[in-house]
Amino acid sequence: MLKRTAVILRALFGRRRFEESLTDELRFHIEEYTDDLVRGGMPRDEAERRARIEFGGVETIREDCREARGLRLFDELQQDVRYGLRVLRKSPSFTGTAVATLAICLGANLTIFAVVDTILLRPLPFPAPDRLVRVYNTYPKADVPDDGASVTNYYERRGRIAAFSALALCREGTAIVGDPGSVEREPVMRVTADFFSMLGVTPAVGRSFTEQELDPDSARVAILTDGFWRQRFDRDPAIVGRTVRVDGVERTVVGVLPSSFRFLSSKARLFLPLASAPSDRGPQNRHSGSSSQMIARLGPGVTIDAAQAELDAHSAAMEAGSPTAKMIADAGFRSLVMPLHAEHVAAVRPVLLFVQAGAICLLLVGGVNLVNLLLIRATARAREMAIRQAIGGGRARIVRQVIVETMLLSLAGGLPGIAFGVVGLRLLDSLGVATLPLGAQVAFDVRLAVLGVAFAGVVGLAMTIPVAWYSLRGSTQPVLSSESRASTSSRGVQRLRHGFLVAQVALAFALLFAAGLLALSLRRVESIAPGFRPANVLTGEISLTVRAYPDTAARRAFVSRLLTDLDGRPGIAASGIATNVPFSGRNIKSATAVAGYVPAPGESIRGHYARGVGGRYFEAMGFTLIEGRFLDPAEIQRGERVAVVDEDFARHYWPRASALGHRIFPGPNVGTAREAFTIVGVVSAAKQTGLIDRESTGTVFYPYSSVFDTELFVLARTTMAPERLASTLRDALRAIDPSLGIGNVQSMDTRIADSLVTRRSPAVLAAFFSAVALVLTAIGIYGVVGYAVAARRREIALRIALGATPGRMRRTFVSMSTRLVGAGSLLGLGAAWVAGRAMQAILYGVPPMHLPILVATGLLVAAISIGACLIPAVRAARVSPTELLS
Amino acid sequence: MLILKAVSLKPLHGYGVLLRIRQISGNALDIPQGSLYPALYRLETQGLIVAEWGQSENGRRAKYYTVTADGRKRLREETAGWNRLAAAIAAALDTTPDEV
Repeated sequence: MLKRTAVILRALFGRRRFEESLTDELRFHIEEYTDDLVRGGMPRDEAERRARIEFGGVETIREDCREARGLRLFDELQQDVRYGLRVLRKSPSFTGTAVATLAICLGANLTIFAVVDTILLRPLPFPAPDRLVRVYNTYPKADVPDDGASVTNYYERRGRIAAFSALALCREGTAIVGDPGSVEREPVMRVTADFFSMLGVTPAVGRSFTEQELDPDSARVAILTDGFWRQRFDRDPAIVGRTVRVDGVERTVVGVLPSSFRFLSSKARLFLPLASAPSDRGPQNRHSGSSSQMIARLGPGVTIDAAQAELDAHSAAMEAGSPTAKMIADAGFRSLVMPLHAEHVAAVRPVLLFVQAGAICLLLVGGVNLVNLLLIRATARAREMAIRQAIGGGRARIVRQVIVETMLLSLAGGLPGIAFGVVGLRLLDSLGVATLPLGAQVAFDVRLAVLGVAFAGVVGLAMTIPVAWYSLRGSTQPVLSSESRASTSSRGVQRLRHGFLVAQVALAFALLFAAGLLALSLRRVESIAPGFRPANVLTGEISLTVRAYPDTAARRAFVSRLLTDLDGRPGIAASGIATNVPFSGRNIKSATAVAGYVPAPGESIRGHYARGVGGRYFEAMGFTLIEGRFLDPAEIQRGERVAVVDEDFARHYWPRASALGHRIFPGPNVGTAREAFTIVGVVSAAKQTGLIDRESTGTVFYPYSSVFDTELFVLARTTMAPERLASTLRDALRAIDPSLGIGNVQSMDTRIADSLVTRRSPAVLAAFFSAVALVLTAIGIYGVVGYAVAARRREIALRIALGATPGRMRRTFVSMSTRLVGAGSLLGLGAAWVAGRAMQAILYGVPPMHLPILVATGLLVAAISIGACLIPAVRAARVSPTELLS
Repeated sequence: MLILKAVSLKPLHGYGVLLRIRQISGNALDIPQGSLYPALYRLETQGLIVAEWGQSENGRRAKYYTVTADGRKRLREETAGWNRLAAAIAAALDTTPDEV
């Protein structure tokens, strides 16, 4: 078979050689024969004549030889391609429309598919990635759905749960990396020794961490990512053993990860051991998970359910006899096993699927539109096809011609479609794709380009079917006779065309409706008040090192100097610090005990957001005071035991009384009077994780020195555009401590806008898709009505000659298209209903059948349709009977 | 089969094949000259013979066909098949009324 292909290919590519050699060979034969005849005594002339006659028709033999070599198919194909190109070139407006339609529709699909593929479909880059799971603690009744997993969990579970062949813990964070003078705040990840082996990753250079390095005393080691190694060490091959300064401490590099290493959406550039003192691994810390994540690998053949059952049994055994057992049970505690990849992208899955569905819808509209245009063209060429059939053109040959033309068209659209896809991904970047989970890894690659070409081919073939069917349909005779009289085309084709148009209108209707729903939902979400005034607030994140700021006094001194400096700078109205700000993406809740509060039987203690604040935090963030007073900067500095709570918190515990004067305790237990914090103020409730947070469970604000964290947010209310003060913030910090870096300098408005990416981007995309779909529909209507007018010119002329007014002719065609658009819209209504219901998961506060949007959609579709059909209809009215009938 | 046989004896050009077939069949078989070439091309496409340009006995450039290993195999198979068929037919034709 292979040899055979080689022979054919040689003949194809050395075509000229093949032909010459054939000529020579045949000539040789005839000459030899002639010679033989002459030798036999025949005169030369007579011999030549005899030889030729006996040999037979040279051209026929040549053709037979070509066919024997399997070349005929290619010859004909070449003819078809050449003919197809000529036909396409002859009608540039049709070809242009078709190519543009395909390019946009394919490009949009490729772009969206690139995102869907990267985020949802492509397996994580580890061996057997479907065996990886995340294990996390949930306390639903305390309103803490996801609290990570604790160090205690790790040491209690490791090696004890047979369902997991490996188990590891990791914790994301930031660190100040580099020597004084050239420090940078870098994302880092702290991991247990088995983290990399659990994932199935071996360092490209050096080794991973050892068990011993999880001990704080011997944890001064680090593993670099390939990027960090390249940028900081210029890929030094002798990297192992060199040191890197992290948070002011020298660490020895023990390994470098492969360049392909990527763990979910982590941006970590440096990996450190997740070290903990053995005393911190005890039961008292079992439920202080929060910032660490447990990742496990299921053993061979173990299902998630089996692992869950074993984990449940283990959790129950650990909790048995614990003093906090009842409290934990009341909170609805359970440790859940979830597939790592699916759980990581669960939040964006419905949105991505919706956008992909929208893109496919657009492709359908475009495809149907093209088929209609092709059908119209085929009708115009029906005579050509009929004649070809009548004079013996094979049916197969005609179908092949149709296929070749359509494929040429779809490939011509496919290549710019790929280019459009590349541009589309750039545009998507500005819509915030990189902020989605795994979104930073979205990129256009060769695989996608190949897919694009293949997809164009499939679309082309699909479009061929109705056109080929039409071209072959029925016997040739009626077509020849009917078309020669230039009357209307046959009913079947007309019905097919009209059916396609109706489908197109319906799809465009549904797309437009969906876009309307998304836009309305976005507006509803954006109009939610966040509970503070986000305009003109600039925020930045800093990390203090425990080494440089070992105690409360040092930290207080730092905060005091920083805020005094900031308050003195022009453009800053108020500044403050906080251990967390709303929309930061860190949403850890912790238990708070309230003195004197008697929970109902079975009621759980609740998780609340706890913030340490300093300076004029409340003024800077723009909170509204409901009752009492804000914390005073001076009393915060003194570390007085006072607190401010928000409305949600106050309403939960004292629905009918004032919260002022009550005493609360950070943590699950009511402590002694000396440990209590007295509530001195109630402020407006702020959205913490997103604008559509359900009623939040409340936030408590303590003086920062009581709940200190080395990760701090600096914030400032500005009197000008906040972004313009970013450098002021950096300067102030550098003046106080040049070894500190500041990261994520963003205005609160930006943070809120970023939290809406999964709402805004689909709305923008849907708007784009429906706009394109509407334009395509308009083209479709124009094409179909325009064709009807052109095909019936003679009839129109006749009717006008017989007394029909031009207005009446115009009405005939407008009403024809109105009927079609009406049917399409009715069908679209059904599709819109389905779309609205399917989209409930990604909508906010919008019912599936929102009437005003429905009406607006209908009106827009109607307006565009009538506009599109008016042009050919007016042309119909202008048909001059004298011109046509004479 | 005859063409394969002819070129299996010695590399031949097209005209030579014609003469050789005529010769080995004792002038009994005479293929129409023109139809020889499509057959040669088909065999070449199937990889049963290969062609090469060379010098003919009288100094002209001619295309010589040689049988390949596949071609020999095919020839053996077809010869065997033909012999079986011929034997079967011969046996059938030799049948006398008493043997029925």
